[in-house]
Parts: sequence; structure tokens; C-alpha cells
Amino acid sequence: MKKIGITTTVPVEVLYAAGYSVVDLNNIFITSKDYLRYIEIAERDGFPKSLCAWIKGIYGACIENGIDEVVGVIEGDCSNTKSLIEVLKSKGVKIYPFSYPAKHTIEEVKKSIDDFIKLFFKDELVDSNIKEKIEDTRQTLSKGRVLARRIDELTCDFKATGLENHIYQISLSDFNGDIEGYTEILKEKVKEIELRKPKTKKIKLAYIGVPPMTPDIYDFIEKYDAQIVYNEVQREFAFPRFDRAKDIYEQYYDYTYPYSLEFRLKEIEKIIKERNIDGVIHYTQAFCYRAIDDIVIKRKLNIPVLNIEGDKLNCLDGRTKIRIEAFLDMLMDLKGD
Amino acid sequence: MRIVGIDLGSRFVKTLVMEDYKIVERICISTVSFYKEYCSFNGRLKVDFKKLGIDSFDFGVSTGYGRNNVDIENFNIINELKAHAYGAMYQTGLKDFILLDVGGQDVKIIKVEKGVLTDIELNDKCAASCGRYIENMAKILETSIDEIFSYYKNPVELNSTCAVFSESELIGKIAEGVPFENLCAGVNYSLYKRLKPLLTRFKGKSLLISGGVAENKALLEYLKSDYDEINVLNDSKFNGAIGCCYFGILKYKK
Repeated sequence: MKKIGITTTVPVEVLYAAGYSVVDLNNIFITSKDYLRYIEIAERDGFPKSLCAWIKGIYGACIENGIDEVVGVIEGDCSNTKSLIEVLKSKGVKIYPFSYPAKHTIEEVKKSIDDFIKLFFKDELVDSNIKEKIEDTRQTLSKGRVLARRIDELTCDFKATGLENHIYQISLSDFNGDIEGYTEILKEKVKEIELRKPKTKKIKLAYIGVPPMTPDIYDFIEKYDAQIVYNEVQREFAFPRFDRAKDIYEQYYDYTYPYSLEFRLKEIEKIIKERNIDGVIHYTQAFCYRAIDDIVIKRKLNIPVLNIEGDKLNCLDGRTKIRIEAFLDMLMDLKGD
Repeated sequence: MRIVGIDLGSRFVKTLVMEDYKIVERICISTVSFYKEYCSFNGRLKVDFKKLGIDSFDFGVSTGYGRNNVDIENFNIINELKAHAYGAMYQTGLKDFILLDVGGQDVKIIKVEKGVLTDIELNDKCAASCGRYIENMAKILETSIDEIFSYYKNPVELNSTCAVFSESELIGKIAEGVPFENLCAGVNYSLYKRLKPLLTRFKGKSLLISGGVAENKALLEYLKSDYDEINVLNDSKFNGAIGCCYFGILKYKK
């Protein structure tokens, strides 16, 4: 199977149907022991210091791992990706652009996905055979999506940890490059988690914003009487509402991450209510435009919101730890004994 | 219900009594005197409340920034940042604010949103932006702190990072014949310059001020250029102790 890299979640069903093994470059970057070296490679090649570490990490991971085909999301994620793929193109990497439409309508989403399909199936028209093949792939992936959703439910029961919730949902962006293998891993994990006794915590937190550069945040929070029971974007990457969609077009229309903040907040507010969440941690990446979203997020959500920022390091710094600690301390006071 | 709150600062220990949500007693004693004359120590700090003039109370809460011993017998300890957050909430009724607290050795800036602490900044390594610096400079100028606090126009330039070097710098300026008012203003302005970098992440329309340095009129004048509104808390010196009492009320109710 030929490998193809992705810069964020894309209609992965199309890529698997086209015979690729998919690699989310973010995951290679952040799980590597050499993650700082990937950033270093990018900076040596001229990427500015004052730029999102994810973009630099993706670049380093792509170059170092010899990924020669990449899907770059040029609309609906961030404008840095546009320039990133220009640089990758100049290095000889074959680029397939994908855009989440600016206008959030089912027609526009269909058009974007059809354009994407044509890149891989070389046909003028997306005929019923191709559609069927993609739908079959969607059904194959659904087994993993059901299991990831189960892990999300088990997190609300305090059986799965915040970190497990993060990892097993975020990994559905590429199914670890092996649909069957990863579905098996999920199956085993669900079995193991279901048998656990719940470790109930007093404070339930939501984590919103892009996935963290600092995965130690989950364990750090659980040292207190608190747990993250909802990971916004990771959960979106896992498409928990996939079975409400009749086809791939509806599934990606009902995906919140690339569209407006207003649309994202509807789902966030719904989950906050459903899961009785006490406080929100809004993570933003240094130099990312999404930090501006914090203004609206704090205004719209009626529970306390703590905005934390990550940059290059893959673990929480002392100041952020103190801030989280103080935030939790006062949430406990609000909650009472 | 009587609640006692104690804020063990580096220069003064502030003790406050609240009865039915109202402040009924404020006691401020120098830290050294407090430990020497009002306390005994047997693994934990035992305070002689009778000597302090406090008869009985239902609940005690203390704070102090970890650099001081705050382990008072039968008292609940809360961290100082939280104490100041609750103090400002009690005094202003606000749930969203930025508070600058300048004490003898500590500078604390806290941001509270929806009644929860969301950001903090503390001085570290150096306390040249605090009250102790002004005290030392007052000695050099052979004047009182209050006198220094009253001058803010035409500050003389004092550039040293170090508080000790600042003293020699000030002596140099005295030798140059710089007027007394400008010397005092220079001391205040150098304090402001050291505080300013700590405030960079705390932009907003208004700023609440507490701590002993809240009495520094000159500093307030300089801060007016960074914020639309500067509000000094009424009981600025006792804010930490008030926060302890307020927290005690919330805790005791439950």
C-alpha cells in the first residue's frame, strides 16, 4: 500500500478507497521521541521561529519520513498550511489540495469532496461505482468509529482516562494507517476499559481547541479531583455522528472543526449541558489565529474558561501548571463539598 | 458566626475578624513582632489570640505565600492568590477583574473571570518592584515613605535593575543637585518600570490595586496611562485577610 500524508482530518474514506495507507503527519510528529528535531529541521530550512510548532513539526515529519505524497488542507484549517504545501511542493512532494468550503452548505461540501475524489479516481464524473466503493469504505471505517464513540462514553463514566479519550479519538484521523489493525486495537481497548471500576472525579472539564502539544495535561489534571471528559476537536476527528449521515457528503457537512466558531459552539454548548461540565480549558497554539476565538468563546459559554497556550515543548510548563491548579482549586470551591 | 482570616506577609501580618459577613476587627502587626510576641512554635504555629485581642471564633483561615510559615494550628490554609481573588470579590462584588497586589516582597497580578482564577503573574528572583525597595530608598533620602509616594512629576532617571545599585545611583543624583521632588518621583517611576513587564499580559480597561503599595499615589498616576480606570480597594492592605475570611464564610456555610 502506498503511503499518503495528511495535514489534518480529510475525507479519509476517499484515500483508503483509492488504495492508500494514510498517515496523519501531526501524529507522527507529536508521538516521536525526535519531535524537537522535526521542528529544528523546519527552522533550518527557513521556517520562522514565530510560527506554529505544528506546521514545523508536520514539515519535519514529512521530510524525515520520506512521505512523497501529501493531502494539504488549504481551506478550513489554517493559512499556514497553504505556504507549507508550497514549500513541500518545491521539495518534490506531490500535493493534493483539499478545501473545506467557506460556505457551509451541503452543495458546497459535495462539490469539494467530488473535486477531491476526481484527484484520485481520474474520472470526469464521480459515477455510482466510485460512490459505492467510497460508501463501502465508510462502512468499514464505521466499526472503528463506533468503538471510539464507546471510549468517549466510557470517559463520561470515569472508566476511560482523559488521555485515552484523546488518543483513541484523535487516531481516527488516519486509523494509524491500518483500518483493520486499528479497529482490533480499539476493540481490545474497549473490552479492557469496560471491566474497570470507575474513578469518579468531582470536577468535569471540557478541553476545546486544537489538540495539545502537551499531552501530559490529562494526567496532570487527574492528579486533582478532576478529569477532562470531553475533547472537542479529537471527538470531531472521530466523527461520532457518522451514522446520522446517509453518505460521505452529509458526514463531512456535519463536522464542526473547519467551519464557523458559531457552528462549533453549538456542539460544544450541547455537550457541556449533556455532560454537566464544570469548566472549560481552551487550548491555543502559540502564533495561531485561533487565540482570537477566545474572546467569543468566553463571552458565549456560561461556565468558567481557562485559556492556556502551548508552543514547542511537549510538556506543561510550571506557570501553566500553577494556572491550571488555581483554576481547579476555585472550581472546587464553586462546586462545594 | 465569627471567622478569623490571617495574611502572613513578608513585612506585616494582617489579622481580620468577620462577623456575619461584616468586618468587625482589623489588626496589623509587623511580621517579626507577630512571630516573636504573639506566637509559640511546637511543630505548628500557635497564635496567642487573647493577646491579639481576639476572644473566640468559629473558623480560621490563613494564607501566606509559602515563603513564610503559614501552618497555624487549627487553621485552614489557602494559597495567597486565591485569598486575594476572594478578597477583591468581597470588596467589589465583581466576578471579572484584574488585580495588582504589591506587597513588601511580592508582586502578584491575578485575573479572575466568572469568579474563577484564570491567570497569574508573580515576581521571582527579585523584589526590587516591591515595598521594601521604597523603604530602602526612603532611608537614603531621609524621608518617609508617604512623602516619597506623593511625587510623580519630572522623575529623575534611575536605570539599575538591582535595588542596591539603585541606592548608589540615587546618591549620585543627590550629589548632582537634582531637586528632592524629582528624586522621589524617580524612585516611584523606577518601581513602575519594574512592574510594567509583569503587566504586559494583563491588558484591560480597569485595574484593581491592593497591598501596601496601593497607597503610592505616584504609582497610580503612572498606571493611569495603561488603564482607563484604576481602582484602589478600600481595605487594600487587608485584602488577603479579607479573602481568607470570605473563603471561610463560604466553606463554613457548607
